[in-house]
Amino acid sequence: MFSWLDERLALSRMYKKFFRKMFPVHHSFFLGEITIFSFLTLVLTGVFLSINFEPSIRMVQVGTKQLPAAYASVQFIDSLPFGMVIRSMHHWAASVFIAAAFLHMIRILLTGAYKKPREINWIIGLLLLSFAVMAAFTGYSLPFDAFSATATKVGYEIAASIPVLGTWLGQLFFGGTFPTEHSIPRLTAIHMIWLPLIIGALIGAHVLIMFLQKHTQPKYAEKVAPGKILGVPFWPQQALIMGVLFAVFVGVLAMVAGLFNANPIEHFGPPGPATPTVKPDWYFLWLYGFLKMIPSSWHFTVFGVYVGPEFIGVLIPSLLILFGFAFPLLQPSKTKLRYLELPSEHPVRTATVIGVLAFFIASTIAAYNAELSLSTGFLWFLVLLGPVVVAVLAYLLLRAIYPRREGASGD
Amino acid sequence: MTPNDDAPTGAPRSAQADDEARARAEAEDQEALIQRRRFLQAGIGVTVALTVTGLSALSVTGSLRPIAKITPQQEPPADGDILVRADDTTRVVQASDIPVDQKQVLCYPKDPKSGVVKNGTDNNLVMLQRFDASQLGPDTTPHAADGVVGYSAVCTHLCCTVSDWDSKNGWLLCPCHHSQFDPRADGKVMGGPAPRPLPLLPLRASNGQIVVAGGFLTSVGCS
Ligand code: FES
Repeated sequence: MFSWLDERLALSRMYKKFFRKMFPVHHSFFLGEITIFSFLTLVLTGVFLSINFEPSIRMVQVGTKQLPAAYASVQFIDSLPFGMVIRSMHHWAASVFIAAAFLHMIRILLTGAYKKPREINWIIGLLLLSFAVMAAFTGYSLPFDAFSATATKVGYEIAASIPVLGTWLGQLFFGGTFPTEHSIPRLTAIHMIWLPLIIGALIGAHVLIMFLQKHTQPKYAEKVAPGKILGVPFWPQQALIMGVLFAVFVGVLAMVAGLFNANPIEHFGPPGPATPTVKPDWYFLWLYGFLKMIPSSWHFTVFGVYVGPEFIGVLIPSLLILFGFAFPLLQPSKTKLRYLELPSEHPVRTATVIGVLAFFIASTIAAYNAELSLSTGFLWFLVLLGPVVVAVLAYLLLRAIYPRREGASGD
Repeated sequence: MTPNDDAPTGAPRSAQADDEARARAEAEDQEALIQRRRFLQAGIGVTVALTVTGLSALSVTGSLRPIAKITPQQEPPADGDILVRADDTTRVVQASDIPVDQKQVLCYPKDPKSGVVKNGTDNNLVMLQRFDASQLGPDTTPHAADGVVGYSAVCTHLCCTVSDWDSKNGWLLCPCHHSQFDPRADGKVMGGPAPRPLPLLPLRASNGQIVVAGGFLTSVGCS
């Protein structure tokens, strides 16, 4: 059997080429794999959801009520055996995807793994994170309950607030001024076909490049076996670990999904005239905090083009993300990085990363300004100064705990 | 071949060679002409093909932005419209239905002649509130009917419905990003990110009923 396949598919050549790739052993190296597991879970649960979902906001009669068809079909999904659990799994897996991808990115940042030759994979990684957030956002809109209609409406208006191009772009992606009868079909196509294809392709490229370039080696490998590649081979050891981890992942996720139903649509009901008091999911809170912080007086007109506070609220974070893309390109180097750098040996970088995390936390706190009754002035203080203070403190602490060693670079 | 061989026959041969060379040159010219012509033809062909493809692609791209149709349900409120409750469009709103100094009541305009309830778009959502006439600002008073004021319920920030009421300050409150508006003073922004005041809807009273006295004073919507 094997030789029959081997003759036709040259399996043993592929085995030698790819399946013997060494995977370094370190717990922080599993974050990327967890991201892939959640993608697989999303696809599998998504198949189930997609074949039961009706992408339409036509009103249908359900019992005594008139409900949008999309909403009614989600009610139908919830009524199927394990339907609610599978829908919750889909929701939680999306959260895990974004969280794991983000932590993976922080790990890369802290250990300098984004440096030459791995800049391309850094950029692909950031693209993956951005598309994942878009997929999460378009997924929000589909059940078409009061919550999703509100969140998507705000998303549409943010897109429409982009000067000059905004209205056109918004109407392109949301099928006219949201909500129209074209909106849900279009968002469905984006969520179920195009984004998964793009994300799948990017994951493929990401992993392929990782295979070609090889992992960066953990620092201990330099001492144990300098110049050699240390780790367990992909087949069979690493594959076995991954298989077990995936099973555990799905098990835990199913349990969480069974215990905590995500977005129970009856809670908000179908969209009505009033806006429910809602906050977006946690990964949007920092953006949401920004939207709330920009004072109403921040608007101006240049060359007859109106720029309002709602656009400035997204402009600042987008500039940050753009900077993230260019980040490794700003540090040209001659040598290729083989061994990970220890965060303790690069106190400036480590402190900056901690400062950036503090920035995200501060703008997330801004999202709760009303609940915590914080004034806008204080929020600005918190968001601008807080991260700087945290970064400086982190730097001083790192310096105190890990005194500078001979020859260690300070970047 | 020796050089001597060449010498005597040199002249006639060279004439012959000239002829040949001329013929060859002519042929080459001809060839070049044909090639140039072909190049031109190909160029024109490609240009035409690209233009046709481009135009078709443009029209497809254009169609991705759906045409907005205005149905009678989406017509903006007009003079003479009555107001019905948003949660029950069969109930016409009377001034006496609106409690003084309380949370806003969401309504849609209704054309009394055709009987069309204009609830086809959120842009027609109107919120009504009633205050003691002495509390209303000078710009708001002329548009109020028996102390009832009407505003567009569409937040000028990102178009959520301004459906909450901050009873402590007496301000309208948008649940999305916490913009606050003063309904007694022209819908002025009192806090939060909203860039413009809420558009006012002029009202008048006729036999205890609230009637729209004209379109929104400023444009409805956000950005
Ligand atoms: S939409 Fe009302 S405050 Fe943002």
